[in-house]
Amino acid sequence: MSTRNLASTRGLVLLSATAVVGVVLAIHGWGAHERSALPAALVPSASARPSASARPSASARPSASARPSAGPLLRSQSFASYAFRIWPGVPSAPAKAAMTGLSISVHTRGNGLLVAAGVTGQPAQPPKFYAGGARVYVVEASMGDDSNSSDYNLGDDGLVVTDARGRILQ
Amino acid sequence: MTSGAASSVSSGERLVADWSPTAGRVLLGLVLAWFGYHELIQPALWTGYVPVLASTSAAAVVLVLAHGWLLLVLAVALIAGIVPRLAGAIAALLLLQIVITLTVTAGLSDLTLRDVGVLGLAVCLTGRGTQHLTL
Repeated sequence: MSTRNLASTRGLVLLSATAVVGVVLAIHGWGAHERSALPAALVPSASARPSASARPSASARPSASARPSAGPLLRSQSFASYAFRIWPGVPSAPAKAAMTGLSISVHTRGNGLLVAAGVTGQPAQPPKFYAGGARVYVVEASMGDDSNSSDYNLGDDGLVVTDARGRILQ
Repeated sequence: MTSGAASSVSSGERLVADWSPTAGRVLLGLVLAWFGYHELIQPALWTGYVPVLASTSAAAVVLVLAHGWLLLVLAVALIAGIVPRLAGAIAALLLLQIVITLTVTAGLSDLTLRDVGVLGLAVCLTGRGTQHLTL
């Protein structure tokens, strides 16, 4: 076998092995997608998947009957490391960067929070009332998709409201 | 003395000329490998880039996985030097699609121009050049 043929055979084997590894990773990725717990509250889609997010309701007015229940602790979630607190207090510089391209307003009402979140330049989402809400976080997995005032990829953004103990309100 | 310096510059230039296509090829391969790997293991974080389709749709996830798979294969082809010009050409087409999509959906920005630079690197690799470290 000539050196050239041997090299092309080795190359073919390596590419084939890579293709197989890629398929295995894709299967893993599909499973991870199915189990994904990343909040998707800011994704402007009606077919959003179930998640631990504090998703704005579909009603035009804040829902007085909505009584979000406390879920898991935010710090126990996989996305905790890229959740940035935006309320109460002044958002930090990373939190401001994470809010790029997003429009979020928070108001106290009674014993909870009234939160409206949406994408800058798009129709505002109706606000949602979170009874017992104490903190609001914006989730941004990668800052690399933000440019000036635009967020190119809203797939890695989300919003989380927690109670005073840090439990996610759903 | 002058002749020695000129010879040194000449050999330095020759070294750069000899190895720069290889360096460019491997570095572009690393970029594609990073993106391909992350698209494969966390496709949900990348679906926002898929044009037309809703980012939460299963079709968008499938497209991201297919894109990630292609990037990974191209990355290995570039790093290992397997048909590097063809791999560079395919990478250039992929990057061209990305640049066009980003420009159409969100306009020109620092992100888009950064991808234009990577596209330029891929285009350079489609030309003839001395390649080292190839299979």
